[in-house]
Amino acid sequence: MHPTRKRLVYGIAFTLPALLIFLLFTFYPFVSSLYYSFTEWDIVSKPKFIGLDNYRNLLDDRLFIRSAVNTLTICLFVVILQNPLSLLLGLVLNKPFRSSYFLRTAFYLPLIVSLVVISVTWSNLLQYDGVFNEILIRLGAETIIRDWLGTTSTALSSIILIQLWYGTGYGAVIYLAGLQSIPHEVYESAQIDGAQGWSKFRFITFPLLMPSFTICTFLGMVGALKFFEMPYIMTNGGPGDATSTLALVIYNFAFKNNTFGYATAAGILFMIAISIVTALQLKLTRSREVEY
Amino acid sequence: MHSSSVRSLREKFFDRLLEIGMIILALLVLYPCYYMFEASVKLPKEFYEPLKFPSRIFWGNYDNVFERVQVGRALLNTLLICGGTLVLLIIVASMAGYTISRNRHKLFQILFVLFLAGMIIPFQTSMVPIYKLAQSLHLMNTRTLLVLLYTAGTIPFATMIYVGFTKGIPRELEEAASIDGYGPLRMYWLIIFPLLLPATGTLIVTTVFGFWNDFIGPLLYLTDKDKMTLITQIFVFKSERSSDWGGIFALCSLATLPLILLFVVTQKYMIKGLTAGAIKG
Repeated sequence: MHPTRKRLVYGIAFTLPALLIFLLFTFYPFVSSLYYSFTEWDIVSKPKFIGLDNYRNLLDDRLFIRSAVNTLTICLFVVILQNPLSLLLGLVLNKPFRSSYFLRTAFYLPLIVSLVVISVTWSNLLQYDGVFNEILIRLGAETIIRDWLGTTSTALSSIILIQLWYGTGYGAVIYLAGLQSIPHEVYESAQIDGAQGWSKFRFITFPLLMPSFTICTFLGMVGALKFFEMPYIMTNGGPGDATSTLALVIYNFAFKNNTFGYATAAGILFMIAISIVTALQLKLTRSREVEY
Repeated sequence: MHSSSVRSLREKFFDRLLEIGMIILALLVLYPCYYMFEASVKLPKEFYEPLKFPSRIFWGNYDNVFERVQVGRALLNTLLICGGTLVLLIIVASMAGYTISRNRHKLFQILFVLFLAGMIIPFQTSMVPIYKLAQSLHLMNTRTLLVLLYTAGTIPFATMIYVGFTKGIPRELEEAASIDGYGPLRMYWLIIFPLLLPATGTLIVTTVFGFWNDFIGPLLYLTDKDKMTLITQIFVFKSERSSDWGGIFALCSLATLPLILLFVVTQKYMIKGLTAGAIKG
């Protein structure tokens, strides 16, 4: 056999197992979901083709719209609160503290714990007779105690705050890595040029951290958009629809209401939304990255 | 000279203060994890005094968990699924990543783009068709299904890591091996794969926690109690109306402890891997 041809044949043989698994369990389900999204289907009987009806109904479905708004709200707060907090934490953790090993481990630790465990623990901490209210009582703030996750006005904000606790450390580690990859000479020449404190951060450190900023925003947003375990376990979307998210509502359309075609159509819209939001974000932040 | 030493002294003091503040903050961050362990060994009658330190260690909740849940069995299931996924993923993704990195043929570059595009598809979009697919392949309610799903879902990321790491291996090695009469398969497994070990390590420490902790997969595709993973059994103790918190926290602690041990051991590599994957990707 000709060597180039032989290389190609072996190349195909080497990539085929991965390709087959990927096609069967990622690509094929996606393509067939395009078809199912145009059908009315209870998974038992044959799907019935109904054209764009699912999509039309979804845009009128108040629960679906509300869930989309909630999801975007979580997403927004992750971007404007969690991301700067991560950056701040990353900057502080970059200092040569004696306890830095402990600190990095502590802030990263929530990430390795199952979201189920986190949801269960926090719902206990925040329940009416839980730790949080107990502390408030001892501080003399009896008037504001409540079932934090069971009250419409505080449920979503509580979940957002738990997400901050959960996700800030991850972003910080990414920023930390970015900080450590900035060559020392850059700072030395900045020092000679008289850059210090805020101006050093504003004109040297931050622009060089842009790749970390991009990746942090991206991961944070994708994570927020796919929010499922916390509302599923802590509130089941309630009270009312206060904490319902897209991932949760799609799950409920399918496995609670048995409207599988409808759920699949919602899934397609969900994917389109994720693609648009992340593409916009990548375009916006990538364009600000600088080379050094 | 004098003013600068005052300044550095003040800076040192400020840094020390900041460090103390950070340690307090870190302890606060760790509190929910501590609370979980504490609550799992509390006497039932002390449970509703949440700030009170347990008067003695009470193992009754754990006895309860071991009685009502086949903990050994569930752990074995979790280990089988994680182990199976890692083995399959490492074999197929490393070969694919190596080929994509080395072979400039257009076909493989298209394949890489296809893999990366797959990263966008959220699980919610395909979870129903997967259900149907699993039924027609007779894979419903099998651990094999989860292994295949996790592998398929992680192939894009894993391939990306192997593509990146392969670039660091000098091509001369392959030329030399080829002169020595090594065929492509032998060359890959005996020479390249061992050199990709750092990539494999990175892949393991960045993904295994996700497989271990996955909740929706077992929830949807496993129904048989004998095949359930540890974390999904939480619903033995938690229903819409009532929660046996002691049992819940004991089970949570059992499911979390192995992860914490693994994290402490691999933490250094994990953070390195995370950054290698994230920044240089």
